[in-house]
Amino acid sequence: MSSIQFLDFTCDIISPMKEGPPVKSADEELVSLARSGDHKAFEELVERHKQKAYRIAFDFARDREEAKDLSQEAFLRAYTHLGNFDGRSGFYTWFYRILVNVCLDYKRRKQRTSAEEFNEAIEHQVEPSHVSQKPPSPDQQVLAVQLSRKVSAALEALPPKQRTAFILRNNQGLSIKEIAAMMQTAEGTVKVHLHRAVTALRQSLADFA
Amino acid sequence: MAQHNKATAIACKPFEEDLVLYYYGELGRNERAAVEGHLLVCQSCRLYLKELESILPLTVKPDEPPQAFWDDYSREMRRKLVEASERRSWWQSLALFSRPWAIPASATALVAVLALTLTFGKGFWTSKEVPRDDETFIEILPMAENLEFFENMEVLDTMDLLENMRIPGKGSV
Repeated sequence: MSSIQFLDFTCDIISPMKEGPPVKSADEELVSLARSGDHKAFEELVERHKQKAYRIAFDFARDREEAKDLSQEAFLRAYTHLGNFDGRSGFYTWFYRILVNVCLDYKRRKQRTSAEEFNEAIEHQVEPSHVSQKPPSPDQQVLAVQLSRKVSAALEALPPKQRTAFILRNNQGLSIKEIAAMMQTAEGTVKVHLHRAVTALRQSLADFA
Repeated sequence: MAQHNKATAIACKPFEEDLVLYYYGELGRNERAAVEGHLLVCQSCRLYLKELESILPLTVKPDEPPQAFWDDYSREMRRKLVEASERRSWWQSLALFSRPWAIPASATALVAVLALTLTFGKGFWTSKEVPRDDETFIEILPMAENLEFFENMEVLDTMDLLENMRIPGKGSV
């Protein structure tokens, strides 16, 4: 079964979760330098994790500028709370936990303000990667917008834990074990969240199957 | 075996969660073998899996920002970090008060200030309680107005004294 290959878009530099101890220890070295006041060390951490962080934020926000703001906000929170990092988990696990929380907070705020505004943003969003390859036909464009709206609505309708488990597994290709560490919960619980999320999404997106 | 629904395929209940995990490659060897064995004989579960393969990729929205975006990202991030760093150093100077030694030191300083104030500021505080000159004058004024009365009283006292002196010898003063 190779169904998850298309999901794994991380490259070597930005995928510390798949590289294991060498990167982790280098991360921690940079963390200790940053804690002692070397902010260049933290900039190096940003460079290492920015693309992965951006991707996760993008999966939550589904908007380029907002994903940038959210991931940067997560880096800033990590920087100002470096003192709270106890080293029990890897830096990336700790940081991505902050990131997911920032993204969930954003979704909560967004839901409170206006769901309509969010749909508008998706509708008018420019996607250069698509445009540059081959221009879609008007029918395809309409379908893409409908799909995008439907997916956004379906994802937003998921409870935060289900959405988190789903995005991290489906979009980011993190393992159940990594997600459990990040969400500070049992692997069995993550499996239940993932299964429920998939069931809900199947029902919402059945028309596009 | 489960029935295939037009809208969505329905998997066999005992295999539903495992099919999701199978799709994501999250099953152990034994569970995977069990699911693959079941898929050989169950069309509904095969349809369910096929549906997962067609639906779930749709939820991934592709986005490949150009290099300029990343350059801008890094530049913006550096600026925000410098600002955060400046804010942090300001807070750190305030955070000195949260150090363990700061509380007893502050308490000692406060006691010392209180002691000094009570010792050397005594005159200052008491002077405020002393009546002002005009208040003193108001209290003395009635006495001054009746000075004549008091003087008369003094004359009477003197006369009494003279009288008493005259009685024993019956002679003139």
